[in-house]
Amino acid sequence: MIALIRNELMKLFQKKSSWIYLIIIVIAVIVGGIISNKVSDEPDPNWRAGMKAEITELQQNAKNAPDEEKQFFTSEIEQKQKYLDENVNPNAVSNWHFLNNVVYPMTTLVTLLAVIVCSASVSAEFADGTIKQLLIRPHQRWAVLLSKYISLMIYSLILVATLIVAGYLVGLITFGNGDFSAKIFELAIDGQKEAAVGPQFFLKMAYYLPSLLVITAIAFMLSTLFKSQALAVGIGIFVLFVSSTLGGLIVMLAEKYEWAKYLIFPHLDLTIYALQDKILGDITLPISLAILAVYYAIFMILTFVFFQKRDISI
Amino acid sequence: MAVNALEVRSLTKVIGKKKIVDDVSFSVNRGEIFGLLGPNGAGKTTIIRMIVSLIKRTDGAVSVNGHNLDGQFKEMMSEIGAIVENPEFYKYMSGYKNLKHYANMAIKEVSDERIMEVARLVKLDDAIHQKVKTYSLGMRQRLGVAQALLHNPSLLILDEPTNGLDPQGIREFRDYLHALAHEGISVLVSSHLLAEMQLMCDRFAIIEKGKLIHISSMKEAMEEDEKTEVIFEVSSSQKAVDVLKGQAAVSSIKVLADDQFSVHVEKATISTINKLLISNDIDVYGISRVTVSLEDRFLEITNKEVRENGGVVQ
Ligand SMILES: Nc1ncnc2c1ncn2[C@@H]1O[C@H](COP(=O)(O)OP(=O)(O)OP(=O)(O)O)[C@@H](O)[C@H]1O
Ligand SMILES: [Mg+2]
Repeated sequence: MIALIRNELMKLFQKKSSWIYLIIIVIAVIVGGIISNKVSDEPDPNWRAGMKAEITELQQNAKNAPDEEKQFFTSEIEQKQKYLDENVNPNAVSNWHFLNNVVYPMTTLVTLLAVIVCSASVSAEFADGTIKQLLIRPHQRWAVLLSKYISLMIYSLILVATLIVAGYLVGLITFGNGDFSAKIFELAIDGQKEAAVGPQFFLKMAYYLPSLLVITAIAFMLSTLFKSQALAVGIGIFVLFVSSTLGGLIVMLAEKYEWAKYLIFPHLDLTIYALQDKILGDITLPISLAILAVYYAIFMILTFVFFQKRDISI
Repeated sequence: MAVNALEVRSLTKVIGKKKIVDDVSFSVNRGEIFGLLGPNGAGKTTIIRMIVSLIKRTDGAVSVNGHNLDGQFKEMMSEIGAIVENPEFYKYMSGYKNLKHYANMAIKEVSDERIMEVARLVKLDDAIHQKVKTYSLGMRQRLGVAQALLHNPSLLILDEPTNGLDPQGIREFRDYLHALAHEGISVLVSSHLLAEMQLMCDRFAIIEKGKLIHISSMKEAMEEDEKTEVIFEVSSSQKAVDVLKGQAAVSSIKVLADDQFSVHVEKATISTINKLLISNDIDVYGISRVTVSLEDRFLEITNKEVRENGGVVQ
């Protein structure tokens, strides 16, 4: 098995595209660093005075505002007051803030690249006709497929690690080393959630991994279903796109129908649990994880059974 | 009695409602080169795909050196080296890396020296470190032969192995196959090139429309007839025909040219004719036996089949 995995990794890294994807991530992080360096102001040591002035101004405006706008002003004021009370500079910058605010959203890019690589994996062997040479070896089909899957997971983790390491280094160079446990407020459905910046980033990354696992499993399944690499990759990206846009729709659906809560889509983004404890009313993280696990098992079983039975007549 | 190198029993493949391979049985002895002949679409490749389990058998059994495909897949596959239709390679890797890839999949270790040895054998050692995408058709075919030989298999299964080889390459390949067979390695080879197969094979089977319609040794097939076609080159064919007309042993005289005629006779009659011609003052410049080619036999057998079946396509 080790030999099979090593083979698959060799093939993966002999392809130029695999290296290009890693470089794309690094470039994205660098560009992110440059842009956020440009737009973020120098941290003002007297930010408290500025904040107080802003609050007074808002209070003035609130007095003259019509009733329906009052609500908005009060919440604005509340928010700013919270920053003052907790002594959290909203414009603070550090490598950890950079990781949490700029690098974390780039996991979308990692997902996209991982989906491209996974859905091209088996379909490329079909498209190039190399699959027949691969399967006339003294190894069971499932073992060959499993070695492919494991090597893809290793590659996906390398993508994630590249993002984190590049993000940390770029953050360090542009913003300097900051306080790992600096307090921040993050916008959640039920108001501002207080968190420590470093742990919050790693929590989100940890919540991100299960979704990556399931989405790449879907892509891998597609790659065994289609003989055309382009088709498999196209449909893989399409599914990714649909799943990210369907979230809102499902929330509406789930209000009316109980079963909609068990569709895969609302559970694909677990990072929401970094901000709130429940989604869709009563679904908690363990339930989401269990639902994902069931879907994952189904995808994997389908993939392996189908591949084992398939006639290879290339 | 020793077990056969390859034993195929009642092999059948049905796709949809069509019987693509219909109850085919044959066996290949140790050290024998066995040819699979048949027109396009006869089912040769399908038979080979089933033997190496790229596609499922609808019915039938396959065993290699006594290892059964159903229970001893690994043992069986490690005895086989195969080319199925055009061999395809990972074009983005060098020939060497491709071979290394398959070497890693062997059960018995294949050393790096062995890889180079095989590369030299197929005369690819100069280009072995180039990427496969720079290879010509013939070079890829040679690499295909190399990957089949890599792990010292006891049975070679070669589907159209000379496809794309130049005459020199074909000759070297044939010599090499004979050398391998001499060492006790068995070969199952399919081809359209009948002249090629005639020189290559010890025994052969003819497949037509999925059915095995003929099986014999090459020798038997070539020597079936006592009588052979003989061409005489003489001073005047007209005079010769007049002389020979009365002879009972001489039948079916054909005048080919002013100075050439052919007869269909037994061996002993050739010298009788020669004496007759000389005693009748006809100069004899040359006598040549027209050897029956496998092509003649092939057409004879397949035509007979058509006649017997009334030319009806099932
Ligand atoms: N997957 C498939 N589905 C349906 N029919 C198929 C399939 N694969 C092969 N066939 C049919 O089976 C028949 C035999 O095909 P096969 O490739 O075995 O022929 P062959 O003897 O190797 O021919 P050739 O000499 O052209 O290589 C053909 O008529 C082909 O159309
Ligand atoms: Mg064929």
